[in-house]
Amino acid sequence: MHMQDIGIAPCLLFIHLYKPTIIVAHIILAMAMFIMFVGDAQRCTAQSCNFRISGVVTDDQRHPLIGAIIRLETDSAKGDVTDTGGRFSIHRVCPGHTLLTCRADGFSTGVAHMHITGNSTIRFSLNADKNQLAEVVVNGVRLQDIHSLSQVELRGLERFQASGKTLGDAIKALPGLNAIQTGPTISKPMIHGLHSSRVLILNNGIRQEGQQWGSEHAPEIDPFVANRISVVKGAASVRYGADAIGGVVLLEPDPLPVAKGMSGNVYLIGQSNGRMGTASATVQGRTGEHGIAWRVQGTAKQGGNFSTPHYYLKNTAMREQNFSAQAGYKYKGLDVAAYYSMYHTRNGIFEGSHAGNITDLYAAIARERPVTASVFSYDIARSYQDIRHELAKVGATYHFANEGKLEMNAARQDDIRQEYDVSLPYTKDPTLLSKPQVSFQLMTHSAELVYTTPSRNGLSGNMGMAGNTQGNVFKGIRYLVPNFRTYSGGVFAIERYNTGKLTFEAGARYDHRWQRVYQRNASTLQTYHTTLTFSNPTGTVGAIYRATDKLSFTANAGTAWRAPSVNELYIHGVHFSDASYQDGDSTLKAERSLNTGITVAYNSKKLRATADVYRNHIGNYIYETPQLQPVTLLSGTFPAFRFTQDNVTISGVDASLQYDFARHFTLQSRATIVRGYNNTADAWLIYMPADRYENGIVFNLHELRFMEEPYISVENVSTLRQTRVPQGLDYAAPPAGYSIFNASAGFTTHIRKKKMMVDVTVANMTNTRYRDYLDKFRYYADNIGINFIVKTRFSF
Amino acid sequence: MKKYIAIVTAALLVSTIWTSCRKPEEDVDIPDPDNEVITTVRLEAVNAADTTDKVTAEWRDLTPNDGNPDLSKANMTLKKDAVYNVSLTFLDETKTPAGDITEEVRDRANYHLVCYAPATGLNLGVVRTDKDNNTPQMELGLQSKFTTGAVSTGNLQVALHHQPSGKNGTDCSIGSTDAEVNFAITVQ
Repeated sequence: MHMQDIGIAPCLLFIHLYKPTIIVAHIILAMAMFIMFVGDAQRCTAQSCNFRISGVVTDDQRHPLIGAIIRLETDSAKGDVTDTGGRFSIHRVCPGHTLLTCRADGFSTGVAHMHITGNSTIRFSLNADKNQLAEVVVNGVRLQDIHSLSQVELRGLERFQASGKTLGDAIKALPGLNAIQTGPTISKPMIHGLHSSRVLILNNGIRQEGQQWGSEHAPEIDPFVANRISVVKGAASVRYGADAIGGVVLLEPDPLPVAKGMSGNVYLIGQSNGRMGTASATVQGRTGEHGIAWRVQGTAKQGGNFSTPHYYLKNTAMREQNFSAQAGYKYKGLDVAAYYSMYHTRNGIFEGSHAGNITDLYAAIARERPVTASVFSYDIARSYQDIRHELAKVGATYHFANEGKLEMNAARQDDIRQEYDVSLPYTKDPTLLSKPQVSFQLMTHSAELVYTTPSRNGLSGNMGMAGNTQGNVFKGIRYLVPNFRTYSGGVFAIERYNTGKLTFEAGARYDHRWQRVYQRNASTLQTYHTTLTFSNPTGTVGAIYRATDKLSFTANAGTAWRAPSVNELYIHGVHFSDASYQDGDSTLKAERSLNTGITVAYNSKKLRATADVYRNHIGNYIYETPQLQPVTLLSGTFPAFRFTQDNVTISGVDASLQYDFARHFTLQSRATIVRGYNNTADAWLIYMPADRYENGIVFNLHELRFMEEPYISVENVSTLRQTRVPQGLDYAAPPAGYSIFNASAGFTTHIRKKKMMVDVTVANMTNTRYRDYLDKFRYYADNIGINFIVKTRFSF
Repeated sequence: MKKYIAIVTAALLVSTIWTSCRKPEEDVDIPDPDNEVITTVRLEAVNAADTTDKVTAEWRDLTPNDGNPDLSKANMTLKKDAVYNVSLTFLDETKTPAGDITEEVRDRANYHLVCYAPATGLNLGVVRTDKDNNTPQMELGLQSKFTTGAVSTGNLQVALHHQPSGKNGTDCSIGSTDAEVNFAITVQ
């Protein structure tokens, strides 16, 4: 639940619509607001208002404020006064837009706009200087559009500790999530055992479109663009369209500032392993109360060769530069916004991982350590990948007087991926030597229109339509995949009914996709094309039962689908990263999944626990199956694989627990257990995450000398050996299980009233040698060793 | 009313974006004529005792990506108890005239190593006779000396390894393999 900067624009609209003759703005405004709030209150009583807002009020030095008055302005009968601990609690809050104010004598006033969809917590930090803004931190459950799907979010300290990491790395600590990796710099999010084209990433509301099919194709996103990172686990196709089979990762920037003035923050992060440095800065402001709000953000990152406990990984250096800018303007009920982001990275590919054919691959696997001893260096040699991604988005939201809203956005994404092989091509042409062996350019134009209905008699929901078109252009010295053009469109509606303790939800969607593939006949050089179409209805039904204030049950059954990707249909040739010969199958059908999940959540003052149980049945699941005959090429013999499809079931349990077992101490535990089985072939699925358990203890104080909320934490991450693997599909047996320890300490402080956060982490404290089943580099080298990380965040 | 204006505006915007896209994907990239692919590995053996005694073998695949090589000439008959000076050639025969890739291998000799592996049972000894430009110089393998023994048959594997780092002139397991083919050798 975020501060929504709706401001007073709806009120002006209100006047405009209902009281056009009155001119004296201030008085009218107050009256109009009053009328609106009374109206709201009346509506609230008609529907179920069963949520709780609780929180704490402090001064800017984090001392609790006693006797501060909290008022629910959107329902004037409700409010509370803070107790000796600065705490308050407001019960029976209605869902929907809510305005909360916090007043204390001698302090600035705190204002929070919230969109209530569940119990929420909020922290007001009031400033003794009345001209300074109060800081408001909302930590609510803001549910994404399908409420009955299991959702997790990086919050508070976890979010700060995740800063500087790649997206895959940042969220892999959440229960139910893993990362599929290609060394220390390339990692992709994995939800419930699924990744790549089966996981959707939404960046600022836009589907991220890149070359997502390969496990070494990491999402082209700088996590610093989004303060909120959350994950929806389960079949979410109804709202987000195709590909959301495993779930959706959502990155959302904070709302633009509502008050005039400038503010911002700077992150500086350094780590010992890879001697990596990251700097990110954000500056934002608003030109006036009714002016333009803006934000500019940039990140620069550079790392050198990473090191395992015993050796450096040659050519694992990386560089990254990112930039984003956004602006927003409000006029009456209309919000318009524009957003642009640019991402550029260059990643060295570990030298020990190159294999020209299967003999090379087995030789590399057999080696105890890489052939060439390496030293530290920031140089990036061949082979490397160079990736650029640009996103431009314009959006408009119109708030109707009845609290409904219409959102529209259009976006353009340009994704360029270039891969440079370790071997230079054989040529006498010098310009060819500097060209990438493989390059892709994927251009996507998309648009979406969503209408959110106002809450009426417990009913709420949204409906909309979305469409996009993509063109993919492949250029390269060696053939990989053909060019294509797609047009996709979908319409959907989701409706919810909220009765006291129960919420019911149902949604449906219909998608159509047209795809034309352009190829050239190798001997005649004639271009020809093939057209495929896919149509799929999807649906979701779910319910939430809030048994008590503390205990809730959520259940959902939903379907999702995915069209076969162009590599699965048409790849033909050697895939160097696997030293395998791959053959696509142009007759593949779309994957369809049916996912059922149940979530139990318990939230009391001392104990917070969640458990998800799910079963995802995927029909026509596409995977590579080995062929009997290897392929003989001039460069050697290659095991042959062909894309095929079967019916599979992935089921599992995610559990997390936080227990404040003693004053100042919290126990944190998480478990992620996944089982994937191919029902048709009667075999386990390859690359399913091994069972993972994380246990840690956090020691937290309120204040210590100059430090506010200092903490020390120690955690153990234990991953078992994956024993459930198919026979004859992998080049090496899964690595042994491992157990590593991480420790962190940090605090918040204020330097001349500016907030500063500091965190020091030691990852893999014991410098343990290990390899992870989901890391492609496990064939060639150990995972990285001990790593000291210092993070600082300075706000101004 | 406003609702409809908003919807119409949105629809217009969507359709504008829809129609304004270029379609570069219809222009499929043509293979670069300057890029050379190894289609042919040729061995030429000259009897050291009798330079008029020349034998040639060729391992050829003119459609290099489909796993369907022409092995009709991938065999060689050598005299027993003899010594041959052998040169190895890599050709791109998709072009006319054929491109000679051996030159480029020689240009980057410091990062390449050719390895010869006679199957057990084949009485053939192979030593590399040429060197690269490293300091000290290391073996390359485009030129070699074949020494035959008693009558026997078996495969000889010839492999071109690209070794951008770690080359020591003897270890064939380093780096990635650019070519790896088998010739059927008869010693009689």
